[in-house]
Amino acid sequence: MKIEKKLNEKTLVIELEGRLDTTTAPQLEAELKNSLDGVTELVFDLGALEYISSAGLRVLLSAYKTMRGQGSMKITNANELVKEVFEVTGFSDFLPIE
Amino acid sequence: MIELKHLRKQYENATPLKDVNAVINDGDVISVIGPSGTGKSTLIRCINMLERPTGGQILLDGVDITAPKYDLTLARRRMGMVFQSFNLFGHLTVIENLMLAPMDILKKSKQEAYDTGMALLRRVGLAGREFQYPEQLSGGQKQRVAIARTLAMDPGVILLDEPTSALDPTMVGEVQAVIRDLAQSGKTMMIVTHEMNFARAICNRVFYMDEGGIYEDGTPEQIFDHPQKELTRRFIKKLKVLEFSVESRDYDFIGAGAEIDRYCMQNDIPPRTKYRIRLAFEEIVQQMLLPILGQTPIHAMLEYAPTEEQVTVTVAYGGERFDPAEGDNELSYTVLKRAVDGLTYSFDPEREAGNVVRVLIREKA
Repeated sequence: MKIEKKLNEKTLVIELEGRLDTTTAPQLEAELKNSLDGVTELVFDLGALEYISSAGLRVLLSAYKTMRGQGSMKITNANELVKEVFEVTGFSDFLPIE
Repeated sequence: MIELKHLRKQYENATPLKDVNAVINDGDVISVIGPSGTGKSTLIRCINMLERPTGGQILLDGVDITAPKYDLTLARRRMGMVFQSFNLFGHLTVIENLMLAPMDILKKSKQEAYDTGMALLRRVGLAGREFQYPEQLSGGQKQRVAIARTLAMDPGVILLDEPTSALDPTMVGEVQAVIRDLAQSGKTMMIVTHEMNFARAICNRVFYMDEGGIYEDGTPEQIFDHPQKELTRRFIKKLKVLEFSVESRDYDFIGAGAEIDRYCMQNDIPPRTKYRIRLAFEEIVQQMLLPILGQTPIHAMLEYAPTEEQVTVTVAYGGERFDPAEGDNELSYTVLKRAVDGLTYSFDPEREAGNVVRVLIREKA
């Protein structure tokens, strides 16, 4: 999986490419660990993400919990299949998905 | 009655029949089905001794026709054979093809052989073709002549070796109609065929052949609707199977994922179904089972049934009873449950891999 971060003042955009699964989720988790200080808006651009499993959802959920205390978080550009996973698990009920 | 006892046929490089045992009752109409190369044709060619078995016995009404001094013409008089490629005599007319053996072997008079031949040609719908030569006939007509020629000897047993395989598809129906009629005549019949609907329609028994023998013997309902054994089920449902044995956490999941992708591509499985297969595999094996089971081997199997447009993912593992629904990975279980169309768990303490999780994924447009 490819992770690209773009910080613009207090907005952090993270572009994910490939698969966010059991194998790659720890990679994203490690990236996020030291990236969220001072960030008030976190955007996950999933335009190039092909697949997400519960392992990926768990990392996004953890990021959401962190951001809830310091700003906001949203998901953008997710493809239909990935969006479906957000929907069937109820993630789309609390996580803004654009 | 024909009894097959430990029948074996071995060639230099292959053993299509390892140990075949069966009793064929008078009046049985048996369809012989199975994958290519499983000895179906070899079996019926051995039964009438066109191929001499390398072991075992064939008893025809209690007489061992494989015995060295047995006069094979006696058995062949009672067992007619219809071949894939007709095997008519090209230099003889249709009626001469039908009269030859009854006159030579049964010592029938010319008139009697002619009358019987004509009656049989009418029966197979070829009255008026008696003076034509085989080359003037279509494939379907040639095969009907071949069937009539077999009947001219009035055999009690008729063996048919893929009788419609060499035919143009438009001619299959006419030959099948003749065989259907024959199946109701009370003669004992064995037919090797790949046409499952036809097999089902005409027979009272089915031999599913695999692994060098009659792997499953049953009624058409049993074999086609409720096969009892694994390979029969795979064949009947045309299942495409992919299996994995996960031995430890170091298992190559990236490689397994690539294999699933390849399997989906080969079987034209749509992207959404592929996504859900990979999700099911990952959630069950990597997320829910491996952290709990450690080194206990996990066996995963994907079965795609194109006719039913569905995939079954079966994951079996040993150890104590462990239902993933009762585990602590709720998120993973939710993803799995919501992404699939059916999810069951069962436990059988008698089996080595007694825990079985089965997931059903239906193709959706």
